Amino acid sequence: MKIEIITPDKKLFEGQVKSAVFPGSEGSFGVMNNHAPMIATLTAGKVELIEENNTKQDFTIKGGVVEINQNKVIVLAE
Amino acid sequence: MPSLKEVRNRIVSVGSTMQITSAMKMVSAAKLKRAQDAITQMRPYANKLKEILENVSATLDTSENAYARTGAVKNVLIVAFTSNRGLAGAFNNNIIKQTWQLIKADYANCNVTIVPVGKKVYDAFKRTEYVTEGGSIPVVNNELYDKLSFDNVSVIAEKVMTAFAGREYDKVVLVYNQFKNAAVQMTTTEQFLPIEQKEGDTTKAQSGDYIFEPSKEFIVNDLIPRSLKTQFYKAILDSFASEHGARMTAMHKATDNAKSMQRDLKISYNKARQAAITKEILEIVGGAEALNG
Repeated sequence: MKIEIITPDKKLFEGQVKSAVFPGSEGSFGVMNNHAPMIATLTAGKVELIEENNTKQDFTIKGGVVEINQNKVIVLAE
Repeated sequence: MPSLKEVRNRIVSVGSTMQITSAMKMVSAAKLKRAQDAITQMRPYANKLKEILENVSATLDTSENAYARTGAVKNVLIVAFTSNRGLAGAFNNNIIKQTWQLIKADYANCNVTIVPVGKKVYDAFKRTEYVTEGGSIPVVNNELYDKLSFDNVSVIAEKVMTAFAGREYDKVVLVYNQFKNAAVQMTTTEQFLPIEQKEGDTTKAQSGDYIFEPSKEFIVNDLIPRSLKTQFYKAILDSFASEHGARMTAMHKATDNAKSMQRDLKISYNKARQAAITKEILEIVGGAEALNG
């Protein structure tokens, strides 16, 4: 699935990932391929990505919102 | 006709002024590029946020929100954005004029408070009753433009929002120069708070069957302050880019003027020199005539 992490200052990440873990407002949750459409708010924490070639990457955010729709994930982070 | 030396001195001084203005133009052009990039960078964020917010709030009544409170307008807060430095044409004056216009005409019957962002507007209003030092929103420090980032700007935005939610003000407007392109800036007055409710645009928003976590209400309440901060940040970025655009244009014109002035001076210098030579020849010829005669 395709993921984009955007902040007001710049685009942090864009690319294909296998899975992603988000610090949701009601606890952390993971997203994999073909996830149902969802909008969720995020709190301070780490967004962890596992890329296609199994490399891990994480981004620390202060909060934000994530939209998941048809294998396209958009994270608006702060 | 001015003496040769005078004209020569003026040519030199116009030349050095021209060097300064053209250097300032170059600097502004470089800074404009960066400021423009910042706007382009934040645009996808702002658009997406707006889209999600519309999507979520389409079926919700957001008028209960603390930021949507409407009613009699008594206390108005004006946030005016200018630059710290001058020499940018009418850039700062437009904002100051517009702010006065708002005070005198639109909000003549209200208590107006101004939050000045940038030194120029602060200087213009610091002796009036509209700027209060030590209010709940402190006078914005003028170093903001040196380290312009979302985090620094949202600190101010949050203070404004808290003051509104705490019923200190009934209306908040932003006055800033909107960036059209390097040569054109539009002085804009924009309502910041209360949030204006958009109606009728629900057709597009019902596109997806989303799961909302934790709940729609929670998401809306979380997103509204976020989008307000984004709006505030956008205003300041716009103003920043406009400043450099305005300065670039102003300095370009100044350089052009200096060039044409220098050309005129050169002509009068050459004329003066030629007159002096002719005079000298006449004297020599006259003297020779006298000797021969």
